[in-house]
Amino acid sequence: MGKPEFVYVTYIETTPEKLWQALTSSEFSKRYWFDTELKTDWKIGSPFALVMDGTTTDVGEVLEFDRPRRLSYTFRHVLDDDMRNERPTKVVFVLEPHGKLVKLTLTHEGFAEGSKLLDGISKGWPAILASLKSLLETGHALTIPPAALAIEGIQ
Amino acid sequence: MSKPEFVYVIYIASTPEKVFAALTDAKMSEQYWAGNRVVSDWKIGAAFALKLKREETDITGKVLEYDPPRRLAYSFHPQHDGMGGEPPSRVTFEIEPQKDQVKLTIVHDGFEPGSKAFEHVSRGWPFVLSSLKSYLEAGRVLRAHWYEDERARQGAA
Repeated sequence: MGKPEFVYVTYIETTPEKLWQALTSSEFSKRYWFDTELKTDWKIGSPFALVMDGTTTDVGEVLEFDRPRRLSYTFRHVLDDDMRNERPTKVVFVLEPHGKLVKLTLTHEGFAEGSKLLDGISKGWPAILASLKSLLETGHALTIPPAALAIEGIQ
Repeated sequence: MSKPEFVYVIYIASTPEKVFAALTDAKMSEQYWAGNRVVSDWKIGAAFALKLKREETDITGKVLEYDPPRRLAYSFHPQHDGMGGEPPSRVTFEIEPQKDQVKLTIVHDGFEPGSKAFEHVSRGWPFVLSSLKSYLEAGRVLRAHWYEDERARQGAA
């Protein structure tokens, strides 16, 4: 049995530079990521936080910032009581040019067995990345209500 | 050791009817699935074929579920690249409306441990489903560079 992790691959008709900007700027993330802002200066070792409607939902620190190829940060959820006590996990984005497309591979790893956070992010990432792809290709993000994802502990 | 299983969820700004049509119509599949066509009369137990554009054989199977516009399932048996000796696997699509979008879940299971077909489809589905989403939302299809390269070679020959 493999270690618990979440891997998602999607192909987007855009450039690595535009995708990188979308992954690292609040101006973009607010549009495709449930109105979430990315609070960090993106220096290696700097703190990183996801802030939704003024409330910090997740925190971490910047591990890699290799524009426009590889981005990673540690990730710990802080709202839900159970998830807050789980060990920090790691999010890695890899961007690869693929003809006129970009192949985006997201790996979220470092979960303990039976992690409640793993269940939550497994529902969240497909919605976020689908919305990101729509925004870059059509100019319109998806408006998926977070409640529709049915993540335990998250409204 | 659990059996290999591929699960993928994608959200598409479309209707369940349009997504279901795209999954079951040969002309539409040809657009987003790199020239490959899904062919069947979609009666339960009837033959299913994915007519591959580049390989010399089809992927064959049988229709297992056909419940428009909610669920579709077929067995899936590739013959090319030495995969003909493996037992057929199973593809299940589930379509759920969510506001003005559709949540599409694909589960591809029924593989033996170490299955080569599992490796193939795990690489293939993210591309096919990314292209399906672009096709339905933007009227565009994604082209993998390996198909572009193929066309370039054929053009040069």
